[in-house]
Amino acid sequence: MKDLRIVGRRAGALAAAIALVTAGAACGSSSPSTSSKSSSSSITVAVAYPAPPKALLDQFTKETGITVNWVNIGWDDLQTKIAAAMSANTYFADAADVDWSKVGEYEKTGWFIPLNQYFNVSSLSSDMPQLGTFIVDGKLMGMPFDSSFIVTTANANDFKKAGVTSMPTTLSGWSSALTRVGKANGMASPLDIQFATAEGLSTCWYQMTAAFGGSVLSSSYSPEFTSPSSPGYKAMTWMVNAYKSGLVPKANINVTDYDGFTTEMAKNRVAAVMCDYSGSVASIYNVPSSSSVVNQTEYVQTPGSTGPGMNVANPDGIGIPRNAKNVAGAVKFIKWFTDTENQAIWAGLDGPKDVVSTFPLPARLSSFKLLEKAGNIGQASQLAAILSAHAKAPFPNGAPPWYVQFSAAVQTNIHEAAAGQETIAQAVSAIANTVNQLKSSG
Amino acid sequence: MSTRLRRQLLPYILVSPLLVFIGALSFVPTVDTTVEAFFRVMPLDPPTAFTGVGNFRALFDNPVVITSWVNTAVYVAIGVVASVVLGTAIAVALRRRFRFRGVVLALVILPWALPSVVEAVIWSWIYNPTFGVLNSALKSLHAIGGYHVWLGLDRWLTIALIEVVQVWQITPLSALIIMAALQSISPDLYEAARVDGAGPLASFRRISLPLIRPAVAVAAVEALVLSLNIFDQVYILNGIAPLGSSVMLQTYVTTFEDLNFGGGYALSLLVTAATALLSMGMLALLYRRTEGAVT
Repeated sequence: MKDLRIVGRRAGALAAAIALVTAGAACGSSSPSTSSKSSSSSITVAVAYPAPPKALLDQFTKETGITVNWVNIGWDDLQTKIAAAMSANTYFADAADVDWSKVGEYEKTGWFIPLNQYFNVSSLSSDMPQLGTFIVDGKLMGMPFDSSFIVTTANANDFKKAGVTSMPTTLSGWSSALTRVGKANGMASPLDIQFATAEGLSTCWYQMTAAFGGSVLSSSYSPEFTSPSSPGYKAMTWMVNAYKSGLVPKANINVTDYDGFTTEMAKNRVAAVMCDYSGSVASIYNVPSSSSVVNQTEYVQTPGSTGPGMNVANPDGIGIPRNAKNVAGAVKFIKWFTDTENQAIWAGLDGPKDVVSTFPLPARLSSFKLLEKAGNIGQASQLAAILSAHAKAPFPNGAPPWYVQFSAAVQTNIHEAAAGQETIAQAVSAIANTVNQLKSSG
Repeated sequence: MSTRLRRQLLPYILVSPLLVFIGALSFVPTVDTTVEAFFRVMPLDPPTAFTGVGNFRALFDNPVVITSWVNTAVYVAIGVVASVVLGTAIAVALRRRFRFRGVVLALVILPWALPSVVEAVIWSWIYNPTFGVLNSALKSLHAIGGYHVWLGLDRWLTIALIEVVQVWQITPLSALIIMAALQSISPDLYEAARVDGAGPLASFRRISLPLIRPAVAVAAVEALVLSLNIFDQVYILNGIAPLGSSVMLQTYVTTFEDLNFGGGYALSLLVTAATALLSMGMLALLYRRTEGAVT
């Protein structure tokens, strides 16, 4: 999950960075020695998520004696923070975000410690379907703490107004339906896809490629998108054409995914989001204080080229940086944070008061069962069905270690293609060249 | 230790904390960056190895980096000219005392006092194509038919609008520097000129301009340095898109997005060299002795 969690994205990052340094300093003062890693009574947790409710964090402190300094930084900025701190061999947190896309990189650089000695992989894997995403060469680099995956959401009211009662399952059907929806609801551009140069644009391309029935890279990390008949090429063409034809608002050239959800879909300026996040309906669109489409939106099957397409899974994980000062405390926290009941609570088991804002779905199937039993989150069973039947990893063999450079090439070139600065063929060629260079050097 | 020796050592003792501070925070990192610029430093592809000018060659082979240099040249040209011209105009306007001058001065200084991140966020709302003030105002004035996407589609428009934000921020400092110089000019000179029949324009051209030239030089160099190092405004308003990318943004991308620290160090070194050379050139051009400048 990327820009969904970019709250106050760039401006906030600055303040958060200061907070992180302050928190780190505070933690450091209570734990002057890195050798006695369990002696400190506080830990700093740096993730791209709002903190769990204070009462529950206080409960954790009461149970373990560990105080949690929670630092919420926008996803893109957090990755920079991690790279800067780890390259400088500097402490910045005891537990931090390990995104699915970063697993290969962290294993290769050794920036995060393997968690195998603290967590039993074989016993957890049956309850955590996406645990394998965080394992590289047998090393567990992070513990998944959600089951985020890309979905398509639609405003059912807007579609009904246009006479679309059953959602199209093909992309061509989807395009014509959206044109009707736009006209019926007075929307010049009814579809939200982000085109800002941010991670969400890369992820959307992987999603659209999956919807066309393929992957962008092969299991040996070779480009699979260079042929015009390939799913990746078709996906990019479809996205750019959607932008150029006006199906997507022109303003989206500088709109990140989270901005799109909150300022476009939640305000009913668009009727559908093509690369939305599982959890948006409950955590964004159904929040009365900030949404004008409460109880109007729903998850729909992602359209594909000939029928329902696949959904790309992008779970978030949490791990322990190499320079953590309180490893024992961090392990206790991760166990608590990924616990069956707590996972269900973050998603709404005990009602809205304990929900972690923007939290998509639990990482554990056992948590899903608790939610389904309680019946107090919308479409839990539909999401569970999508997760089990349609969610797939964007890269068949896990994210490549050079993912960050690859993603930068993807987002900048698709952005340039949409802005009319280069053609689709040029964008594809530039991304493929980057992949080939990275493969040959890495 | 003799009293004389102690007296001789005292200045050194007094400045030593500052020297240590500057050395630790400026000199050491500069030396480190200079050395590392000649090494291949890539955490994802170890080991670190000496590469000579390899990092620099790679930078000049990278079209995105070249684009960012061209963009930066435009940022600098607009930034220096606009901030000095506007700064001089504001300084002349605020030179004489008038009612509420203090309030006006405070308002003029405000953009300079605000963090550049905050300003860029404010301007991102002004430029917002869906509900931004710019579109709304222009449409109310019937200057545009429909709402426009201002940033991200046209390279030169994007650069110009980003630089507007930068100029808005740095002009107050130029105005203050030039105003201080204006206020130091003896009123007798203007009085003498008036007696000789010189009008306001002639007085400005013949008296003010020559005497404020050193201040203009300082303001221009300040604008040059800030424009050459423009980052926050570009990053917030246009992301990492190459279209409006500046060389400092590209340094960030090379270092933290590509994790190519050697390349980032090399680019930083080039920016530092460019800043030093251009600043010296500008000072040499503008900062002339003022003695006898009044003709």
